[in-house]
Amino acid sequence: MSDLDVLVNALNAGRVSRREFVSRGIALGLSTTVLGSVLAACAQTAQKSGGPVDLTFVTWSYGIDTIKSNIAKFEAQNPNTTVAFQDFSWLNYHDTMVTRFVGKTPTDLAYSSDHWLQEWAAAGWLAPLEDHFSQVRSYRADYFPYVTSGMTYNGKVYGIPYYADTWAFLYNADHLQRAGLSGPPATWDELTEQAKTIKSKGIANYPVILLFAQDDPGSIEVWTSMVFSRTDGHLFDSSFHPVFNQPGSAAAKTIDWISGSLRDTKILDPASLQSQEIPVVKGMESGAHTFTILETYNQAELNNPGVNKLAGNFKMAPMPGETQGTVGYVRFYAATGQLINRGADAVGAAGKFLEYFGGKTGDQFSPVVKRWAVENGLGFGWKSLWNDAEVKTAFNKWGDSAMLQKNQELARAKDGLTKFYPSWDVFSRTELQKAYLGQVSTQDALKAMADKWNELQKA
Amino acid sequence: MAGQVRRRAAPGQASSHRERTYAYLTLLPALLIVAGFTVYPLVYSVYLSLHREILTDPLNHPFTGLTNYAQVLGSYYLVSSTLSTIIFAALAVPAVLAFGLAVALLLNQSFAGSAFLRVVILLPWAMPAVISGIVWRWIFNGDYGVLNNLLSSLGIIHQYIPWLSTPATARAGLVVAQVWREGPLAAIFLLAALQTIPRELYSAAKVDGGGGWSAFRHVTLPMLRPTLSIVLIYETIVAVVTFDLVYVMTGGGPGDATSLISWYAYTEVFKFVNLGHGAALAFLIAAALVVVILIYLRALRSEELY
Repeated sequence: MSDLDVLVNALNAGRVSRREFVSRGIALGLSTTVLGSVLAACAQTAQKSGGPVDLTFVTWSYGIDTIKSNIAKFEAQNPNTTVAFQDFSWLNYHDTMVTRFVGKTPTDLAYSSDHWLQEWAAAGWLAPLEDHFSQVRSYRADYFPYVTSGMTYNGKVYGIPYYADTWAFLYNADHLQRAGLSGPPATWDELTEQAKTIKSKGIANYPVILLFAQDDPGSIEVWTSMVFSRTDGHLFDSSFHPVFNQPGSAAAKTIDWISGSLRDTKILDPASLQSQEIPVVKGMESGAHTFTILETYNQAELNNPGVNKLAGNFKMAPMPGETQGTVGYVRFYAATGQLINRGADAVGAAGKFLEYFGGKTGDQFSPVVKRWAVENGLGFGWKSLWNDAEVKTAFNKWGDSAMLQKNQELARAKDGLTKFYPSWDVFSRTELQKAYLGQVSTQDALKAMADKWNELQKA
Repeated sequence: MAGQVRRRAAPGQASSHRERTYAYLTLLPALLIVAGFTVYPLVYSVYLSLHREILTDPLNHPFTGLTNYAQVLGSYYLVSSTLSTIIFAALAVPAVLAFGLAVALLLNQSFAGSAFLRVVILLPWAMPAVISGIVWRWIFNGDYGVLNNLLSSLGIIHQYIPWLSTPATARAGLVVAQVWREGPLAAIFLLAALQTIPRELYSAAKVDGGGGWSAFRHVTLPMLRPTLSIVLIYETIVAVVTFDLVYVMTGGGPGDATSLISWYAYTEVFKFVNLGHGAALAFLIAAALVVVILIYLRALRSEELY
């Protein structure tokens, strides 16, 4: 029996992992091409034999220790399945994943987002979960509407929520009290007046800071939330035709408010244009700013006495504006087309993984779903999870569960989720910044955004 | 007789044929590597640039001729990014040359620690560009950046400046980071050239009454000209294809103020997932660079100095 035969037998018996097989094969002087062919043949054998399965799971870099510990627990419960885990920066996640998919880098399960679903599903990079994992259909009724919208492409559900949150208006209650203000603003004009008062009293030089860094995908969600909070806060009609470019639209009013706050009243920190999520949180923590819009889980960080001496001062209010609407978004576990092509064993193992990481059996939620909510304060897509006393208590430690729930009910998925939304989003971020800075007029920026939308739609 | 000659020549021809075959065979691995890593990607890029290659539409790749080139050339963003690139190169290249020359002249002097400085000066160049970008992004941060802190503690500014949030200061910040990263290499090149200038020329200049500035102008600068030309061409290429600093420091913003042409090509490929546009842009950038280099070579054709 040759050395290669011994190695192949060990791989088939599950005594060595695929990765170990490759390193030992290279040590034997075998080329990667030969090893690749052998691995492919072994994978087919494994599918027939119901042998061990390796899954590759890709995420963005958040809560890595928690993810690793969840994987370890899953592997302990499923000894036949090994999970290779990789993470990449949130800021570059889209580009990294596109490169992986195009280059056919092995990827079985991955985080995805409503931003990218349509693009990735249209390209065949993701598979509809409900076609392969029957339990997914039964979950649907318990999701908030924005969660289902964000995970649906061509009528099929492509994900199980990792977390589902809303953009929320947060403020420093101590600043308001010191300025003699009785409560948070209910409209954008009121916000301007309150911020001017706070500024004039020297409490904060720039009372407002917003996440508008051009390279942060969250920046378009903040802007869209501000649009949604206004009367007629829509970007597109039901046929996906732009309405944001009409004079006097909610989008135009939003840009005008931002531009005016940046250049005229100077209540908005100019550093907002380079501020990603963490700098905004740090800015609020330092007490340099009074108002912001962030994902709700950041309120847990702001009110954490272990890391912030101003903890307890940060409150959530409905989004200023007539409708108080905001964006609800979902980041979810998705399965790739590559996974489905690997056959029944890999799909079966992935099903168990998805169930463990994001599923629900009867009224029992998976331990991972509750863990993210309780330990990290991450929002969730399940309506019935609000009935869980442990979850409610955990959220009430740093926030107001009733307010959080209300925000979820007011939230909508982003308008215009199509396969070209990611391209339009990137294009629009540039145009919006130019309008905020006064380099182009509001109407010219909106016209350019509408033209780009129409061009992408035609292509 | 002729037949004899032919018979005698036959073994020689066979030997020559064997030698040629041997030569080709020994060259083959290198040729294959070059073909695999250079020729194939180049040819494939040409193919991409002539087809509709949008990654989200993987089954639809019709031949489109020069459409990608036409679309890219007609784009507002080509004009805007070209202008940004020209501004960036026009500021960064002379600044890198001036910085490199000043440092080289300093390090050409003998003083305590000069040998150590010659090594240390290369550090910014040896540092990965992404790390340089992160460092500079932090230095220029509008809320907690070191630069603001320094200027504020010196009483020069009374309010923090959001350096990377306004177009003019973001462009300037990018130039500063580029000079910091590229200046050391220029300095080392120029230092090497300075050390080859014969001392006798300075002695002769002194005898003729030429002092510091005069010797610099009439001896140093002409003798450095060939090296300066090389550094100028190299730094121009580097400035035009600068991508990493933009990627890390500004993401092309604010607005499109720092969207250099290489960033535009990147966004076409990775953000808009349009490989056809990206490949067409890459060829246009390469063609523009060739033209610029030819202009440089013609303008800076140096006299026989050595």
